Amino acid sequence: MDHTRSFCIIAHIDHGKSTLADRLIQHCGAVEDREFRDQILDSMDLERERGITIKSNTISLDYTAKNGENYRLNLIDTPGHVDFSHEVRRSLMSCEGALLLVDASQGVEAQTMANMYLAIEHDLEMVPVINKIDLPAADIERVKEEIEEDLGLDSDDAVLCSAKTGQGVEDVLEAIVNQLPPPEGDPEGPLQVLIFDAQYDSYRGAVLLVRVMNGTMTKGQQVLFMHTKAEHTVEEIGLLKLSREATGSLSAGDVGYVIAGIKSVSDINIGDTITDLAEPADEPVPGYRESKPVVFSSVYPMATDEYGELTKALEKLKLNDAALIYEKDSSQALGFGYRCGFLGLLHLEIVQQRLEREYDLSLLLSAPSVRYRITLNNGERFWIDNPALYPDPTTIDTVEEPFIKAAIMMPDRYIGSVMELCRDRRGEETTFNYLSAGRVELTSEMPLAEVLFDFYDKLKSTTQGYGSFDYEMLDYRVTDVVKVEILVNTEPVDPLSQLVHREKARARALHYCDRLKDTIPKQQFKIAIQGAIGGTVIARSTINAFRKDVTAKCYGGDISRKRKLLEKQKKGKKRMKMVGNVEIPQSAFIAVLKSDTD
Amino acid sequence: MMATMSGIDIPEGASTRAGLYVHVPFCSSICPYCDFAVTLAGEARRAQWERALLDEAVMYADCGFDFDTVYFGGGTPSALKIDRLTRVVGGLREKLQIDPEAQVFIEVNPEDVSPETARAWRDLGFSSVSVGVQALNDVSLGILGRRHTAEQARRSVESLLEAGFDTVSIDLIFGLPGQARSDWEGQLREGVGLGVQHLSCYQLTFHEGTVFGKRREAGLMTEMGEAPQAELFAITHEVLGTRGFEGYEVSNFALPGHRSTHNLKYWTGAPYLGLGPGAHSFDGVCKRWWNRSKVRLWQRDIDQGRRPVEGEESLTDKQRALETLMLGMRTADGVDLAWLEKRFQTDVIGPNADTLRDLEARGLISRRADRIAPTPAGMAVADALSRAFRIEGD
Repeated sequence: MDHTRSFCIIAHIDHGKSTLADRLIQHCGAVEDREFRDQILDSMDLERERGITIKSNTISLDYTAKNGENYRLNLIDTPGHVDFSHEVRRSLMSCEGALLLVDASQGVEAQTMANMYLAIEHDLEMVPVINKIDLPAADIERVKEEIEEDLGLDSDDAVLCSAKTGQGVEDVLEAIVNQLPPPEGDPEGPLQVLIFDAQYDSYRGAVLLVRVMNGTMTKGQQVLFMHTKAEHTVEEIGLLKLSREATGSLSAGDVGYVIAGIKSVSDINIGDTITDLAEPADEPVPGYRESKPVVFSSVYPMATDEYGELTKALEKLKLNDAALIYEKDSSQALGFGYRCGFLGLLHLEIVQQRLEREYDLSLLLSAPSVRYRITLNNGERFWIDNPALYPDPTTIDTVEEPFIKAAIMMPDRYIGSVMELCRDRRGEETTFNYLSAGRVELTSEMPLAEVLFDFYDKLKSTTQGYGSFDYEMLDYRVTDVVKVEILVNTEPVDPLSQLVHREKARARALHYCDRLKDTIPKQQFKIAIQGAIGGTVIARSTINAFRKDVTAKCYGGDISRKRKLLEKQKKGKKRMKMVGNVEIPQSAFIAVLKSDTD
Repeated sequence: MMATMSGIDIPEGASTRAGLYVHVPFCSSICPYCDFAVTLAGEARRAQWERALLDEAVMYADCGFDFDTVYFGGGTPSALKIDRLTRVVGGLREKLQIDPEAQVFIEVNPEDVSPETARAWRDLGFSSVSVGVQALNDVSLGILGRRHTAEQARRSVESLLEAGFDTVSIDLIFGLPGQARSDWEGQLREGVGLGVQHLSCYQLTFHEGTVFGKRREAGLMTEMGEAPQAELFAITHEVLGTRGFEGYEVSNFALPGHRSTHNLKYWTGAPYLGLGPGAHSFDGVCKRWWNRSKVRLWQRDIDQGRRPVEGEESLTDKQRALETLMLGMRTADGVDLAWLEKRFQTDVIGPNADTLRDLEARGLISRRADRIAPTPAGMAVADALSRAFRIEGD
């Protein structure tokens, strides 16, 4: 156990975490150079494309240190985005230390700090690593200052490296061995195994990623899952090298995988503790907090006959994404679908893209909503996250909405416009303080609902990309919302209904009307688009009918070309939804969620 | 109109017998809007074409088709010297089953027409002639890159009428950038005034790869907007309609008895055989095939004893039903839906009950019993109409 180190890398997005991970793997010879693909841990196309890590992956590396000893380094790759702090948490629980990666040209960012606080919460030892020192814009002294001042870490311990060129990578490995503590735990003690992630394997079912805290788990062992009370037999157990490597057993301090004949992740609770069935531990591993979805949206297949496939896809996706929750839902306009809960907008977007790409589904998502707490005049209290279930306003006493504490870091020249943006988003108690010369952290208490609609986009354009954003849930506060409905030729399009603050209702309705006008194709008749509150129209737009739509020539006998075009267009119509007699393309449902500035 | 034993819903003027199309790929210049298979090649290549075409005809000698229409299209068939044309017509009659009474059509360019050529074509057995007038003023002709003048066009029509063709037709193009309503209306009136029995009026289309297509891409030319296009389209049907010309297809107008019996075959699902580069064929049941469009490749196949077919497809009943609807929405006669259901074993009326009611209420189609037909307003949006229908399995 003395020769094991389990660690993760904490970084702001784009600070080079995946590249560093690649370099460490390469240095330890876990993979031949010629088979090396960049960002090897980010196995999903989506991650590679976006350059960010969504799913945490783990790998065990064998490293011979300068002292001549062999070490096993368990690298736990954590997601780097605010929506995924729950995944970060789980990963952190299985580490003793963390590399705190800071971009030498960018310095400490909002996320770096947020994740560091999480790491501190989990008592992790931290080694600051200053990356990208090869960049011309690298300012190592300033970054060291930020590490001292903002993070409160000793910058003398900071390791300098360039994951891109490989410079300093060995120093990083040495720091892992020398500065991070080995795991504690008793291999002979009662079995406590923490599940910190799960992957889905189409042949083997759920593959659990685990950290053994105490005891030893072996193949064939009868085990108990302490939270779910499920009993299973360990079918396969081993280390996570580049691929799974069965070893027959794992002991305290080890990080690896377990296959136990579990088909669905709904049978597993990520963060659960596995123990021996016959001689169970007294308690599960402490400190687990279940992550709660805060953003809700209904997902519908474009083609109604894909509902079954959507069901299967969600089941499978859930195997890889414990944070996703869903239940059956139906829409007047779109038929059957699922109401889903997400950790945030990025999570929502990623789930949507994975469903579309990995499962080849074509989907429609309703306008995302937060969860409101409603108190009726008769004292009855309940939660709703679906505008369709919004009660008659005359029966409502109060509505409360979730507030967040937003933390925005940026160069100080943007402070004025960002404060303006926060005010526009109903931000309260907006304050700021200087982190270091020229860098400001602004905090504001604002309704989560205001962040759902184009806040990231606006922030990015306001700060020309320099602003970073993080948030935590705060509390529920009384608010004044109305239900805005969108009607197309007088038919309500219920997935576009939303609960909006009264002051914002008209502007939002107008935005929707304009966006739909631009995205719904002309049809043979005039289309009226309206935004309404309880039957009162507050915004409208019109799409004129086609006046001419005919190919001039259709002879020389080339009927095939024209028919094929028609077939293609008709196929395209499958990506449309009929609401009343109007065809609404999928793109319209997406466009309304984007801000005007795109 | 009635369904016949061969299963074709025959509108007025159409027949169930086959049409023969001959593609003459030669032009003396290439029009900047044209995307047909054409070439500028000279006499040597034309001689090769002649030989290959007749060889191709031999390959279809046993196709079983009995042709009652023959159509020489292009390209510019009138660019062929009369003796070559004579040999081709004679050769085809020799190798294929062509009805002695068949209607024979030819497309000609005004600059090729003289009283002498007109008579020669008539004597050769051509019964109908279609003149590529395109415009009746020199400014428009200049924009279209045509090599004749308006005056030449008018004289060519005169000569053809004098030569005694059963039907003389002119092609006109509308929707030139910036074209005024009055300009187009004037051309239509003048066209009718020439005494022709048939007009084909095409909206100028910007095809990718053509000179116009490239100019549009480069921002040098803009397509006319939808509203003025619609207006010109409506005017066309109105002006010609009041002068006794029935708009029997989106772009085609005829005095009674002068519909293009050959083109109707394409639109009504009758069989046709296409010879020459890029020509299309249909067996009248479910098979469509088309020739290589590059003259050289077309010829090489024939020289090597192969049919010069580039592609073919076999249509399902549903595809045929879709095609029939698509084409029907372009013709004044429309489609008999009950016949369509029976012929292609496909539900159409039931699944489209709402759509049919809706389109009728909007004045886009008219309906008598189970036959539906587009109104002129419906014809203007014929593509949208054919998209509106659901065919079982869609």
